[in-house]
Amino acid sequence: MILSIEHISKNFGGVAALSEVSFGVRAGEIVGVIGPNGAGKTTLFNLITGVFSPSSGAISFRDKPIIGLRPHKVTKMGISRTFQNIRLFGHMTALENVMVGAHCRTHAGLWQGLWRTGIQRSEEKSIREKSESLLRLVGIAEDQDTPAGSLPYGKQRRLEIARAMGADPELLLLDEPTAGMNESETEELRLLIQKIQALGKTVVLIEHDMHLVMNVCERLVILNFGKKIAEGVPEEIRENKDVIEAYLGREED
Amino acid sequence: MEFLLNPYYQQIAMFIIINAILGISIYLTLSTGQLSLGNAGFMSIGAYTSALLTIKAGLPIYLSIPVGGIAACLIAIIIGIPTTRLQGIYLAIATLGFGEVVRVVILNLKITNGALGLSGIPSISVAMGKTYSTLGWSEGAFGLNLQQLGNFSVILILLSVLAFLTFFTIRLNNSRIGRAFAAIKADDHAAEVSGINTTAYKLLAFFLGAFVAGIAGGLAAHITFYIGPKDFAYHRAVEILLFAVLGGSNVVWGPLLGSVILTSLPEFLRSAAVYREMIYGAILVTMMIFRPQGLLSEETLRFWRAKFSWKQPVGRLDEARRTTG
Repeated sequence: MILSIEHISKNFGGVAALSEVSFGVRAGEIVGVIGPNGAGKTTLFNLITGVFSPSSGAISFRDKPIIGLRPHKVTKMGISRTFQNIRLFGHMTALENVMVGAHCRTHAGLWQGLWRTGIQRSEEKSIREKSESLLRLVGIAEDQDTPAGSLPYGKQRRLEIARAMGADPELLLLDEPTAGMNESETEELRLLIQKIQALGKTVVLIEHDMHLVMNVCERLVILNFGKKIAEGVPEEIRENKDVIEAYLGREED
Repeated sequence: MEFLLNPYYQQIAMFIIINAILGISIYLTLSTGQLSLGNAGFMSIGAYTSALLTIKAGLPIYLSIPVGGIAACLIAIIIGIPTTRLQGIYLAIATLGFGEVVRVVILNLKITNGALGLSGIPSISVAMGKTYSTLGWSEGAFGLNLQQLGNFSVILILLSVLAFLTFFTIRLNNSRIGRAFAAIKADDHAAEVSGINTTAYKLLAFFLGAFVAGIAGGLAAHITFYIGPKDFAYHRAVEILLFAVLGGSNVVWGPLLGSVILTSLPEFLRSAAVYREMIYGAILVTMMIFRPQGLLSEETLRFWRAKFSWKQPVGRLDEARRTTG
């Protein structure tokens, strides 16, 4: 298990956003977290990345507990994420955004930056090349000098993935990567997610597009009202009564 | 030449450069999106520390000014650790309060001579004059007398400090730390999640701003012979912020331009002295309405670069690209 989540709960005041959720993610797999709006999916990501601390429960990454670590430490340990509502650095170019993502893997300090020492220059060069190749990976290499804020929506989503990949994560958390995308864009994204998996990364994705989820995920975790109601391979989930009920409601007797 | 030798104009030139250094200090703090009004306070710490060290301990000026900057930086550590957790207007209020506390402390301490202020601070110009006379130029050189020579040296020293700080800031912007600053300014939550220790970098920006303000304070003290608590009051904090508001805070040239304009404007408006403050205010209101990003922004620079077709397309990474091949 690269990531294991044990009995985590999170309360905001009197509202239980998550209660007693447990599941694990194996290295190299693609796991989908699905559920209706307000089920606690994004809260789950926020707990994993250290944005919030859980009210109770434990989360460990590669058998090390990560609760209580600040988000940048979690990122440095190897967990990166994207946001549901895109949060790029709008005035910076696409390339600079990815280079910011690589920040936690570089070391040059003020002094080295001031005098452009050899170490600093070779480091800049290598993160630059790495960022360029990540932009190629997500398919927006031709936009590397465009300010992130002026990219079209679909490219911004891809750029967020490239920025998250900049930190060399082992585990990538994607929060609704296809929100607002049309069918062909969604299909391209499916291919991208599989390419990322082929690079040896583990992916957990929150998604509403059932077609994508059923095609790309090897395992699914279903949340509803903060509780895990089911877990399993897509075929099982498709038949699961509780899941159908959560999405479509119950038939009147 | 007559114009250049006029001590009055020379003095104005010195103030413009000192204010430009203060513009860099506010730019450094603002480059992580932190609105700090404490730079006048840090300036006063630098000024008083440097002045007292030369008067009471006889330290040479070239040592006392950096020590003043370090003193400002140390105080910034003490107040920065709690206050940089604050955001936006709350940080502004806390740092404004800090500035007032510093002023009141200086007003009440014996060593700072209270409201009377410190006078007879050793001057850089005189010190340079002395150095020149030991070099055998006691009658002056290059057709200038000793006082003119001293003043010119001061301007040169100030210009080189300013040039170094500008160079430092530009290099900083092009480095990984500068990118971290810009990311924090754009969206500090996304920056933190992208792996940047936002607290540490905000503190760093705060320290750098305080250090530069302390240096500016020290330089100012050794140019004016006299400093008093009134020089570093609320209006000073706002004036420093206005350099960035007028010039723009997204590129270092913005606060530099702002400081040059706002320091020389009162001289040009001298004939309309009665209305000076009004004109001053009107300019700022107009700015807020028509150009809230300030006179210079990244777009402005890009536009002029394209116009003069410097071979520099977009982004601030170009320099890095040229040097890294």
